Amino acid sequence: MGKRLLGMVVVGLLVAVLGVGCSAKKKGEQAGTEGSNLGEEGLAGTGSLEKYKAGTLGAGEEGPLKDIHFAYDSIDLDETARGILRDNGNWLKDHSGARVEIEGHCDERGTVEYNLALGARRARAAKDYLVTLGIVANRLTTISYGEELPLCHEHTEECWAQNRRDHFVVASE
Amino acid sequence: MNRVRLLAGACVGALVMQVGVGTAQMKGSIFGPGTRSYPVAIAPLKDLSGPLAEDVGPRFADIVGRDLTLSGYFKILDRSAYIEKSESSGYTVDSINFDNWSVIGALALVKGGYTVQGDNLTLEVRLFDVYQRRQLTGRRYHGSVTELRRMANKFADEIIAQFTGERGPFDARFAFVSTRDGKFKEIYVMSADEGDLQQITKNQTINVSPSWSPDSRSLLYTSYKRRNPDLFLIDLISGRETLLSQRPGLNLGARISPDGTKMAMTVEDDGNADVVVLDRSGKVLRRLTDSWAIDVSPSWSPDGKQIAFCSSRTGSPQIYVMSADGGAARRVTFSGDYNTSPAWSPKGDLIAYVSRSEGEFNVFTVKVDGGEPRQLTQGARNNEDPSWGPDGRYLVFSSSRLGRKKLFITDVTGSSQVQLTHGGGDDSSPAWSRWLE
Repeated sequence: MGKRLLGMVVVGLLVAVLGVGCSAKKKGEQAGTEGSNLGEEGLAGTGSLEKYKAGTLGAGEEGPLKDIHFAYDSIDLDETARGILRDNGNWLKDHSGARVEIEGHCDERGTVEYNLALGARRARAAKDYLVTLGIVANRLTTISYGEELPLCHEHTEECWAQNRRDHFVVASE
Repeated sequence: MNRVRLLAGACVGALVMQVGVGTAQMKGSIFGPGTRSYPVAIAPLKDLSGPLAEDVGPRFADIVGRDLTLSGYFKILDRSAYIEKSESSGYTVDSINFDNWSVIGALALVKGGYTVQGDNLTLEVRLFDVYQRRQLTGRRYHGSVTELRRMANKFADEIIAQFTGERGPFDARFAFVSTRDGKFKEIYVMSADEGDLQQITKNQTINVSPSWSPDSRSLLYTSYKRRNPDLFLIDLISGRETLLSQRPGLNLGARISPDGTKMAMTVEDDGNADVVVLDRSGKVLRRLTDSWAIDVSPSWSPDGKQIAFCSSRTGSPQIYVMSADGGAARRVTFSGDYNTSPAWSPKGDLIAYVSRSEGEFNVFTVKVDGGEPRQLTQGARNNEDPSWGPDGRYLVFSSSRLGRKKLFITDVTGSSQVQLTHGGGDDSSPAWSRWLE
């Protein structure tokens, strides 16, 4: 992705990321909000949900950070995943203004709710590892999409393996 | 959100009266669901108000027939075989020629009549034992013509009561997630005959985990429409939608307590999913789990005192039960290494759940006190998302046995499994409401 385009994308996502950050509350606090309709405006289209809406999810376009992959029902980072995370960490060190949203994904097998929880842990696993590499935690946000946004739609192990992933969306630089 | 005119029929003025009831001789013990052995003829209701464009008579018969088919107890005899025509015959013991029904193999017969005046529908319908030539039950319903479907569902439930001793589960609604209108998972509601279908969400993002309020008036669901998976409540009568919980991360799988005062829901703290209890405004009252593991999918016991949920605290997802006030959790599933989606029966005795073995997902039940699980589905690809009917004798679940995911209804033994939804797309995550009242 060209730097200028990236910059444009970034402005919108920065709004989104800061928005998410600002709404973070301590346990136990929760204000019910009446029918508000904030959200999609202001988001640039590089996250997987935005790509899915645009029909470009799985079309092969890659950001500067590479996906990592998981075994079934696992949040363990294998050596390949840790190697990719070290590369991603180095990129983040070289781009100290960059913020990243880490998306956790699962394959289609299993229960929607359990997979949403599993995706959250996969995203968290990558975040924790990046923090151990020296990346400041507040540059990294996480979101789970569970089994909802597969890259590949066939019911095969090859396909499932592609879908069990963390995807890294550069939100600002 | 579009205004939703759902459950117009919930404000039923339908006055229900007993019409000369006989005592039922046949109770459930003589046959069971799955045999489909009990042949019943359902005559189109007789039009008593003169020739109208309304197709009330056959529509009522169609809906009752559909419900009875779903129950697994009955075989509905083909209408084209009926010798006695509704328009030229009566619907009392004295005016029915029972020979005309026994000769086509009917053991039970549904006949009745209706009048339409303006928007008002009055309908009288009776169930007869063909062999004994007597009336088993009868009902008269008054209401709007738009309430025809509910009258049919109520009478189907009454027929099931006559034969099994317990009211049927079809005067209710189903909420579910579907991709029938495109690639996005949206939420829909419908009745048991697939009628009154309404699309509830239309936000073109991801919508999951619909669940009913105990009064069957509102739905909870989780949507990504504001990008974070937040919890929403929609009142299906007014169409009013409320954002109830927007904690960063998951606000997932919320279920309202049976007394309607609280909710249980999965929240996420730093990537770890835990179950909390909230008040109806979305304020967290207490945390039920606080483990390093995944804790999801709370389901209330019918007395509201306990909660079943899914936890990976032993390394693989298993079903647990704990007090709704907190405390220690007790494990209830011990076989298999992937048990999820607990659903506590409205009768209180069983928890339905999904278990994976040999690469397939299947619906099981287990007694709350423990014991051997009972497998309800097998050898038919993936079967998931069990939700109990209001009577505690039937469940709805999603199955990929025909390719795309569709909803099916099974009785609690698994011996009768009937397809509920048809058409395109994938249907999943069904939620069966309580009875409409």
